[in-house]
Amino acid sequence: MKHGTKILARKIFNSIITLLLVIIINFILFRMMPGDPINFMVPNDPRIPHEYKLELIEKYGLRDPLLEQFFTYFEDVLTLDFGDSFIFTNTPAMDIVIENLKWTLVLTGTSSILMIVIGMTIGIYAAWKRGSSFDTGSLAFSLFFYAMPTFWLAMMLIIVFALHWELFPPDSALTYGETFEFSISSIVDLLRHLVLPATCLTLVSIGAFVLIMRGSLIDVMTEEYITTAKAKGLTDSETLKHHAVPNAMLPMVALIAIDIAYIVGGAFQTEYVFNYPGIGWTTIDAVYKSDWPILQAAFFLIALAVIVANLIADILLVYMDPRVKMG
Amino acid sequence: MIGIDAIDDREGRGRRFLIPAFSGPTREKLALLKKKSTQIWKTFRGNTLGMVGFAILIAFLIMAIFASQIMWILSLIAGWDHAYDPFEEVAEVGSGIPPSSEHWLGTDTRGMDILSRVIHGSRVSLLVGIVATVVSMGLGTAVGLLSGYWGGWKDEVLMRITDVFLVLPWLVLMIVLASVLPGGPTVGKVIFVIGITGWSATARIVRAQVFSVKERAFVERARAIGAGDIHIVGRHVFPNVFPLVFANAVLTIALAILSESTLSFIRLGPLATDVVTWGNMLDDAITAGAMANELYLWILVPGLCIVFVVLGFTFVGYALDEIFNPKLRSR
Repeated sequence: MKHGTKILARKIFNSIITLLLVIIINFILFRMMPGDPINFMVPNDPRIPHEYKLELIEKYGLRDPLLEQFFTYFEDVLTLDFGDSFIFTNTPAMDIVIENLKWTLVLTGTSSILMIVIGMTIGIYAAWKRGSSFDTGSLAFSLFFYAMPTFWLAMMLIIVFALHWELFPPDSALTYGETFEFSISSIVDLLRHLVLPATCLTLVSIGAFVLIMRGSLIDVMTEEYITTAKAKGLTDSETLKHHAVPNAMLPMVALIAIDIAYIVGGAFQTEYVFNYPGIGWTTIDAVYKSDWPILQAAFFLIALAVIVANLIADILLVYMDPRVKMG
Repeated sequence: MIGIDAIDDREGRGRRFLIPAFSGPTREKLALLKKKSTQIWKTFRGNTLGMVGFAILIAFLIMAIFASQIMWILSLIAGWDHAYDPFEEVAEVGSGIPPSSEHWLGTDTRGMDILSRVIHGSRVSLLVGIVATVVSMGLGTAVGLLSGYWGGWKDEVLMRITDVFLVLPWLVLMIVLASVLPGGPTVGKVIFVIGITGWSATARIVRAQVFSVKERAFVERARAIGAGDIHIVGRHVFPNVFPLVFANAVLTIALAILSESTLSFIRLGPLATDVVTWGNMLDDAITAGAMANELYLWILVPGLCIVFVVLGFTFVGYALDEIFNPKLRSR
């Protein structure tokens, strides 16, 4: 276990370094922007007194030496303070981002469960029936959706299921004007709005799960212990369930970690097309409105979430991998 | 990143088509290179998926190069009075006009012929896809080679930077870069943004490859006879990692094309009035309410073009990966 602990310590150290680099990049990027940041905060309107601008420059320390600015910024990051939104004045940018984060979690959470369960099932079956028409079919299915732009699939789903057949609502997370409460009708409303975005996100991301599960299982099935299991007289399904699948799971967990980045990218596009009020929609909206505090807060929060998720996956892998434990 | 370690492991094994370190006269090298390429092409031809992908790519390449000529030929066949230019106002400006015998896919909000725009749109997709990939492959290979060759603390520093680009969601990084970088929304900026975001996986793969190559006998031998670092990396290490980088590059083009269309779609790419891309055509369509107005071809055709180009590169990429990667081949 000593070896395992050492690996863990190293993973945690690397994650912290990555996070520090993200904070530095976040600082540099938003200071690389052309023009004076003060002009982004206050529109160039003659009615705004010059004193107000000077006050803001003083408040945000915009004329301080760069290093000093960085430390001020670093302190703010540690307290998750990215300043107030330019558009929704007097509301901290982080509050807005966190408020929208819950919808992204609803969407990505649902889709992730679906893509892991369905993707693994298809992958296992395809590997088991290797070379069959099901196998070829699942391969074609995976590659086809892999090649599809997420935003375009979203548009197609809206056309077919929302506009043509009118089965599900085409946009938003709840009926307009409603807020979520724990009642049957509210939950039904939420689920009805969730069906199309979740389907979209699941379809575009499921291919990787099918392919990796299939590949990993095919790899495992050529191992000698599978032959041994069969020689012991276990049936095919017993061998699959107790020997092949558990050992094929390692690359799957690794994939889930890597895939988080892609799922977030997919969620951005899905939310944008479906007007789903999550963090992706908010970020793109902030870009259009030049609401930099929101963009910065969203970027940092997403980076933090992804780094933590990767670390959790890494820790899981260390505990799951028998080779690491023995070493 | 355990996931990447798994890839490292996979790439770490021996390779079937390693190009040996050249030492003879140029003529001999060329003959050897030719022999290798013929061998690779023969194996590639046997791969159905790869050949389908190759055919798709040739079709789109012809479409991109001869876009205006194709429109001219179509105008002769269909009897239009002239070949429509993608930026020409050929119909009334409004919310788009449904397909007709004059305009097979209809016209868009600016009164421009959608078919002409789809055909010309292939140019930016292929250009951005290929050039952005060259940028990110160059960066990734350079970082991977140096990191793997140096080892030690320099390797550590480079790998931590690589990790940042590896874990951060690509689209989020591209959105932030595209919106904070100075300069207007040009094709060049899109290429830069995609190129600078997508190099990390290549760096990892190349680095792992370098680690496995640099201990081999021929590198030791070169070092023993006094070869310098640059010589060893350039002449012995690079030729050995190149085939894998190439297979990886083809797969990366697919991702770069998807990225370009996404950026264009969310209006962070070139403007529809300056440059035609399938992404900004789809943005036009959704803005004009093409979904509700049942102008389906306007949405369907540019989208399918993206799907097929991406599939083409993916098929070819997988086929090359199978050729260069013996572990996959044996399956």
